[in-house]
Amino acid sequence: MMLSHYLAVSGILFTIGLFGVLTRRNIIGILMSIELMLNAANINFAAFNRFLYPGQHLGQVTVIFIITLAAAEVVVGLALVMAIYKNLKTVYVEKYNILKG
Amino acid sequence: MLEYVFILPLLSFAVAGVIFAVGKWLPIKGASAGIAVAAWGFIQAAMLFVKAVRGSIALPYEASIPWFSVGAHQLSLGVYVDGLTLAMLLVVTTVSLLVQIYSTGYMHGDPRFKRYYAYLSIFTGSMLCVTLTSSMLVFFMGWELVGVCSYLLIGFWFEKQSAAYAGKKAFITTKLGDLGFLLGLLTLFYAAGTFEISAIMEKAQNGLIPVALAGLAGILMFLGAAGKSAQFPLFIWLPDAMEGPSPVSALIHAATMVAAGVYMVARLYSVYTLSPIAMDVVAWTGAITAFMAASLALTCFDLKRVLAFSTVSQLGYMMLALGAGGFTAGMFHLTTHAYFKALLFLAAGSVIHAVHTNDMREMGALRHKMPITYVTFLLGTLALCGIPPFAGFFSKDEVLVAALSRSPFLFALGAMAAAMTAFYMARALVMTFHGKPKDAHKHDHAHENPLVMTIPLMFLGIVSVISGWALTRHEIFEHLVNFEGALPFELHHVSHSTVALVSSLVAVFSMVFGLWLYKSRPDIPALLREKFSPIVNMLEKRYWLDAFFLKIVAWADSLSVVLFSVDFNFLDQIAIDGWGWLTIKLGKIQGWIDTYIVDAAVDAFGTITLYSGRAARLAQTGIIQNYLLFVAVAVSIFAAIAFAG
Repeated sequence: MMLSHYLAVSGILFTIGLFGVLTRRNIIGILMSIELMLNAANINFAAFNRFLYPGQHLGQVTVIFIITLAAAEVVVGLALVMAIYKNLKTVYVEKYNILKG
Repeated sequence: MLEYVFILPLLSFAVAGVIFAVGKWLPIKGASAGIAVAAWGFIQAAMLFVKAVRGSIALPYEASIPWFSVGAHQLSLGVYVDGLTLAMLLVVTTVSLLVQIYSTGYMHGDPRFKRYYAYLSIFTGSMLCVTLTSSMLVFFMGWELVGVCSYLLIGFWFEKQSAAYAGKKAFITTKLGDLGFLLGLLTLFYAAGTFEISAIMEKAQNGLIPVALAGLAGILMFLGAAGKSAQFPLFIWLPDAMEGPSPVSALIHAATMVAAGVYMVARLYSVYTLSPIAMDVVAWTGAITAFMAASLALTCFDLKRVLAFSTVSQLGYMMLALGAGGFTAGMFHLTTHAYFKALLFLAAGSVIHAVHTNDMREMGALRHKMPITYVTFLLGTLALCGIPPFAGFFSKDEVLVAALSRSPFLFALGAMAAAMTAFYMARALVMTFHGKPKDAHKHDHAHENPLVMTIPLMFLGIVSVISGWALTRHEIFEHLVNFEGALPFELHHVSHSTVALVSSLVAVFSMVFGLWLYKSRPDIPALLREKFSPIVNMLEKRYWLDAFFLKIVAWADSLSVVLFSVDFNFLDQIAIDGWGWLTIKLGKIQGWIDTYIVDAAVDAFGTITLYSGRAARLAQTGIIQNYLLFVAVAVSIFAAIAFAG
C-alpha cells in the first residue's frame, strides 16, 4: 500500500463530497457531503502522518480533533436546519431566499 | 459781504423752483418772488461795486470748497471775485432786475407767465454762475445753462413756427462754437493742469503755459465765444433770436449772455496775451464782425433786427478792443453797451407792445403818442452812436484808441462801423418815431405803456447818459477793471483826444446825415435801393452766410445719407448680419459635432455600462451552490496552473 493510494481514495471522496455540495438540493444531503469532504481531509492527515513522519502522532491527533469539531458542527448545523424547516417547511436550499432584498 | 456772494446764483435757482412749484399763489403769479431776489442781488452787487471802488474790500477774493477729485486733480466749487467780476455782476443783476420789472407789464396776460419768470430766474442764476465761479468747469456748465435758457426763451412762443425754428437755430449754432470751447478748455486743462481760474492766471503770468498751447486753447475757446457772443461767422443766430419776447432780447441777447463770450476772453486774458496769434484772431474777428453786422443793419426793416445787428456789431467792438490789447476798453464798452442796448431793446419792446408789429415800415410818428419811450430810445441811440457826452462815446473812443494802437486797418474797420452805426440808428429812429404814420390803424391804437414798463426805461436812460462820464471820472473803472501786464498801447502819431474828436465827428456827421436823409428826402433811400440792388440784395441775404450754413447742413445731410447707406448696406448687412450668418453656420457644425461625436461618446459609455452590467448580472444567480461552483472551478484552475508551473 502506497501513500498515493490513500491520497487517491481521499481525492475521490473529496470530489464526491464537493459534487454533493454543488448539486444536492436537500440541505441534509449538503451537510452529509460536507462530512464526506471533512473525512477526505482526515484521511490525508492520517496518511501523511503514517508515511512521512512514522514515529510521530501529531497528524492523528489532529484527525481526532477534527472529528470532534465535525460532530459539534453537525449539531449546530442540524439545529439551524431544524429552525429553518420549522419556519419554511422545506429542506430545498433554493427556497431559502428570505434574506434576499 | 463777499463771503456770502455765492448765495446769489443759488438763490436765483431756488426762486426758479419756487415759482415753478407755488408761483400760482404768489403775488403777480410768482413774478414778485423773482423780482425780490433780483432786487436783492442788485443791491448786493451795487454795494460790492461801491465798496470796491472805495477800496474798502480786498480784491481779488477767492473761496472754494472741494467738489470731487479725478486722479491727482482736485476740482472745486467756489467764487473768484475781482474787479472784472464785479463789473459783470453789476451789469447782470441790474439788467435782470429791470427786465423782470418791465416784463410784468410786457408779458401781462400771457398764458405761460409763471414759466417765463422761472426761466428768467434760472437764466439769472446761470449767468451769475458764469460770472462768479472760480473754476472753468463750472464756467462751462453755466455757459451751457445760459444757452439752454436762451433756447427756451427764444422759442417761448413756440406756437409760432418761426420762433421754434429760431430757438433751434440759436441752440445749434452756438453748440457749433461750444464744441470748440470744450476742446479749448481741455487743451487749457492739459496745458495748465487745472480748471481753477486763479491758478491758470498765475501759471500763465509766470510763463508756465507753453505759448503754442495757450494760442491753441485761446483760439479754440474763442470759437465758443464766437458762437455765444455772435461773432463772424456764427452771428447768424442772433437776428433770428429776436423771435423771443423783447425783454428777453434785452436781457439775454443784448446785455448778458452774448457778453459772456467777451467776459470769457477777458477772464482768461492772461492766457490770450501769451499768444499774439490768438490776440490777432480775436481782434480781426471782432473788427470784421463789427463792420459786417453794422452794414447788415442798414437795410433791415425789422426794428428788433436792426438792434440785433447793432448788438453783434458792438460785440465785435468789444472783441476788437480785447484783441488789440485794450482790456479795460473792451470791458468798459461791455458795461456801457449792456445798459444802453438793454434800454434800446426795452424801448423797442415798448413800441412793439403798443403797435403789435416789428416792421418799421408800419410805424412812424410815434413820438407824440409815446413820449417817454421816444425820449429814452433817443438817449439810447445817442449813447450807442457815440455822441458825446453819452456813455457810448467814452467806451467806443477807448476801443478805437486800442484798435489804432494795433493797426490802422482795425481802426478803419471800427470807424466805418461807427459811422454806419450812427446812420442806421438815425434811420431806425426816424422810421419809428418821426415822419407820418404809415399805418393809420396801428398808429391810432398806439399808446404809452404803463409805469412798470416806463420806469425801467427811464432808469436805463439816466444810466445811459451818465455811466460813461461817471465811470471814467477819476478813472474809477480803469482802477477796478484792469489787467496787469496788458499790452501797453501807445499812440505814436496822434493823440488820444484826436481819436475822440475824429470818432465823435464821424458819428455826429453820419447821424445828422441819416436824420436828414430819412426825414427830409425819404425818396433818396428808395432810389439808392434800386440803384445798388446787388449790394442791397447781398445785405438782405446777410452775405449769404445763412445760405452758406444751410449748404453745410445740406452737405452734412447728404454725407449722412451716404454714411447711412454705408452703415446699412455694408456694416449692417455684411459685417453685422454676416457675423450672424457665420455664427449660425458655425453653430450648426458645432451642433452636429455635439450630437454625433460628443453625445455619442457619452451615450456609448452608458451603453457599455448597461450591457456589461447585464452580462455581469448573469453570474449573480443568487444560488449559493453556483458561487461555490465558481470557487471550485477557480481553485481547480489555480491548482492546475500551480502544478503546471
